[in-house]
This record gives sequence, structure tokens and C-alpha cells, in this order.
Amino acid sequence: MKIKRKEYNFWFLFLPAAILVTSIIYLPLLNGIQIAFKNYNLFDLSQVGFNGLDNFKNIIFDEHVSFTKILFNTFLWVVGSLIFQFLLGFLLALLLKDDFFGKKIYSGFIFYPWALSGFAIGLVWSWLFNGQFGIVNDLLIKTNLINQPIGFLSDPNLAMVSVIIANVWYGVPYFAIMLLAALQTVPKEVIESSMIDGANSFQQLISITIPYIRPTIISTIMLRTLWIMNFPDIIYGMTNGGPVNATNILAIQMINKIFKQYDYGQGTAMGLIIIGILLIYTIAMLYFTSRLED
Amino acid sequence: MKKSIFIEVVKTLLRVVFFIAAVVPLAWIIITSIKTPEEIYTFPLKYWPDIPTFNSYRELFSYSNFGMYFKNSFLVSFFSSIVSLFICMLSGYALSRIDNVKTKSKMLLFLFFTQMVPSFILMVPLYSVFSQFRLTNSLLSLMFIYTTTMIAFGTIMAKSFFDKVPYILEEAAMLDGLNRFAILFRIVVPLTLPGVVAIFSFSFVNIWNELFLAVIFISSESKMTIPVALNSFISKSGVSWDVMSAGLVVALLPTIVIFAFCQKYIIAGLTDGGVKG
Repeated sequence: MKIKRKEYNFWFLFLPAAILVTSIIYLPLLNGIQIAFKNYNLFDLSQVGFNGLDNFKNIIFDEHVSFTKILFNTFLWVVGSLIFQFLLGFLLALLLKDDFFGKKIYSGFIFYPWALSGFAIGLVWSWLFNGQFGIVNDLLIKTNLINQPIGFLSDPNLAMVSVIIANVWYGVPYFAIMLLAALQTVPKEVIESSMIDGANSFQQLISITIPYIRPTIISTIMLRTLWIMNFPDIIYGMTNGGPVNATNILAIQMINKIFKQYDYGQGTAMGLIIIGILLIYTIAMLYFTSRLED
Repeated sequence: MKKSIFIEVVKTLLRVVFFIAAVVPLAWIIITSIKTPEEIYTFPLKYWPDIPTFNSYRELFSYSNFGMYFKNSFLVSFFSSIVSLFICMLSGYALSRIDNVKTKSKMLLFLFFTQMVPSFILMVPLYSVFSQFRLTNSLLSLMFIYTTTMIAFGTIMAKSFFDKVPYILEEAAMLDGLNRFAILFRIVVPLTLPGVVAIFSFSFVNIWNELFLAVIFISSESKMTIPVALNSFISKSGVSWDVMSAGLVVALLPTIVIFAFCQKYIIAGLTDGGVKG
């Protein structure tokens, strides 16, 4: 009996959180899903009504923006950002593992981008990449790497690379922090015994360290994928999807449907497409990683 | 021996490269903010102004109501983080002390799924609910939403900190006649103060940086938060990059200060919550 009473007390403590999350996220979500199947434009609220799958059809067969192109851009944005965030973050974590002079202050300077706003970072980088007065162009010209200033954000072939660079800059600290913490959990004895066996540091990394911290690697990559896919702030601050849709990803298209066209029906449908893709991704990742463990 | 010196040199060089890459973008914005407009738009670029000036900052605060935006942002971020922290301590404690594994994982899933929902889907329904209570275009509506969006991560962080407090301490306190509430706030929370600081600063930083919900819910100029104001600068013609840079520096400053002071706790909080290796 005593245990039951204790459980009841704990439920009581979880209640405020449950009530807020239910009323501010879950109930509106159920309500919001309907909007994806409605004609719902703030410009013309007299026309609101169910229209079946029209919103999804309009998105997929959009004449102005090719849906396959947006999907491909989203893929580039997520995979490109993720690979370089991870690799550079891992490298940084390895560099921070050993003690060196001024390590505390150093890591403060290295990690601070994590605390900045994505939108502000987008603006900062759009200024760095500015075609006429940007410092990146100036440095490249001064070092004779290029003769003419490059339109990093106005050239459709370069814009995606530029926004990914900004996103990588933003995301490296996160991976470094998480992987560094994981690296510190690798027992010293394991590494020492491999050194006796004559393994060099690279072999050690591949065959001992990485398998040991694999759970962290998988969970950080999974979480980060959801985050990057749902995170249009940097692109919004730099190019807002342009030029000619070169950096238009699902999340940016969703924002523009809502902010520019006031079309909440299509915007919400876009949101559901994103949730669907993320759910499939999460389930697939969980499935494959659990097979990997066997 | 020779080889290990070589490796140390490479490591140091790489550390320098990372340092430069991390610091230069912000440094360049700060330098831009203390130039005159003429010095910004010159070619070749000037790497340091002839006479550093704080004119852009003066213009920022006189031309726009940046002081007010700052106050709005601060109020919203501070109170939402405090309320959210309080709620997360309760729910985190509940999650940490519930024995039933199934109940526990259901609760975690209930919180985790909220992270997958793009906030845009919630906007219309929330807007219509808030308008019934005449809460649209008010900072209060933003506080409600922000408090909620921080609950999932805050609860999971709080749980991982509370997990480390030995249960024996609490049983002793219970024998002394303290109730659950008193145990949580007089014994568990003081023992995990660094974690509590981490949760607060994590929420503060995230709320301070939020743009899109604020754009939707705030329509009058007097209630804008800093990201909304920066967003409106883009569309306003005639805002030059010296004022924009000053705005960015002021916008980034509080989170950098918080990060500088709480870095240790934030990192401990992030990693304790996420690393299970």
C-alpha cells in the first residue's frame, strides 16, 4: 500500500508538465492536422473548407517550385551539414581530449557559436559572404586564390555550399561537446592494453575508441538530423531559399507558404510531410542500429 | 620521440585553425559595428577603422526602439525559463523516482515526440485559442508557448541530474517528517544546483534566440523581441550594415555572457542528458 501512495505522489508532480504539453502542443497538433486538408488562406478566409488532398497535390505538382528539387535540396542540406559537422566535431573532440595550456579559455572561444541564434548566424554569414564587401572574397583575392569576387550567395551553384558552411560552423561545437564527453568515458585500461599490443593511435581510434562510443555517435547523429531538417533559421537569414530555389528546402518552403502566401493549408501539409519523413527516418535508424547491435 | 613531437605540432596547428574559424566571424561583425558607413562600403576592405566609433550603437538605440526590444526579449526569456525550470524540476523528479519502467518510458516518449513537431503546424490553432482569451499580440502568449517548448528537454536533463542523488538521503529526510515537496526543494535541488543552472541557461538561450513564433504572435512594434526586430531590419530599406552589425552584437551578447559563466554546467547538462555510452 505504501508504494502505491508513493507512485501517486510522483504522478502529481508530473501533472503540470503534462497539462502544459498537452494543451500547448498535443491538442493544437490534433487541431492543426485538419488544416492540412483544408483550403485555409488568411487572405481569403471566406473560402475555408475541406479540400481533401488538394494541398498535398498542389505541393507535389507545384509549377513554380519543383518538389523533387526541394527534396533533393533538403537531402543535400541535411547530409552535407551532418557529415562535416560530425567529422570536424569529432576532430575537435580528439584535439580537446588531452590537456594543454589554456584549455579552459580555449574551449570557451571554440564552443560559443553553440549559444548563438541561427537566424543571427545567417545574417552574420551573409555579410561575410557578401559579393562586394564580404571579408571572404577580400581574403581570397588578397591571397591570389581568385581574381574576381565570387557571388557566394547569388550564384545558384554555390549558394547551397555557402549555407552549409555556415551551418557546419554552427554545429561543430555540439558534436565536439557530446563526443568529448563520450571519449572521456573510454576506460584508460582498454587503451593502454591496446598500446601494449602495438596498435598505433589511428588503429586504436578505429578499432577501440569508435566502437566504444558508438551509442553516443548514433544518438547524436539521429537527434541532429531531426534538428537540421527542422531548422531553417540559417537559410532564412542568408538566402531565404534563393537564388532561383537553389537553397529551398522543405522547411523554408513551409515558412514561405505561411509568411509570404499566408497559405496555412499548404504550409501545414508541408509540415506533415516533414513529420512523415522524420518518422520514417527515425524508425529506419532504430531498426538498422538494433540489427547492428546483434 | 621524433614522431610524437610531429604529432603535437600538427595538433597545435589544428587547434589554431579551429580557433581562427570560430572567432573570426564574430570579430568581423564587431569590427563592422565600430566602422562608419563609408568605411564599410570601401574596396579594398579596411580591416580596422581609422577612428573606432560607437555611432552605430547610438543610432540603433535612437533610431529604433532597440532598448525596448531588449527589455521584451529579456522579460520573455527570463520568466519563461524560470517557470519552465520550476515545472521541469517537478516532472524531472517524478521521472527520476518512478520505479515502473513502462510508465517511465511512456512519459519519456510523450515528451520526446514534441521535439519532432514543427511549430508552424501549431500556429493557427494556438492563435485562435489565444485570441479567445484576448492574448494575441501579448508577451504573455509567447511566455506560455516558450515555457512549454522547453519542458521536454528540461525534464530529461533534470531527471539525469536527480538520478545521481542517493535515495537514502531522501528516506532519512522522510523519517524526519519532510514531505515530497520539501525533500525536492530542500535536499535534492540544492545538491544538484549546477544542473539547475544548466537547465535555466539552456532554456534562456533557446528562448532568447527564437524567431518564427514571435513573428507570428507579435504584431505591434512595442512588443517585438530582438529577433523579430532584426528580421524587420532586413525588410526596412535604408538600414545599413553598421547598424545591423551593432544590432547583431547586442543580440548575441547576453547569450555569450551566459555561456561564458555557465559553460561548465551547460556542457555537463547536455552531455549527462545525452551520453549513455
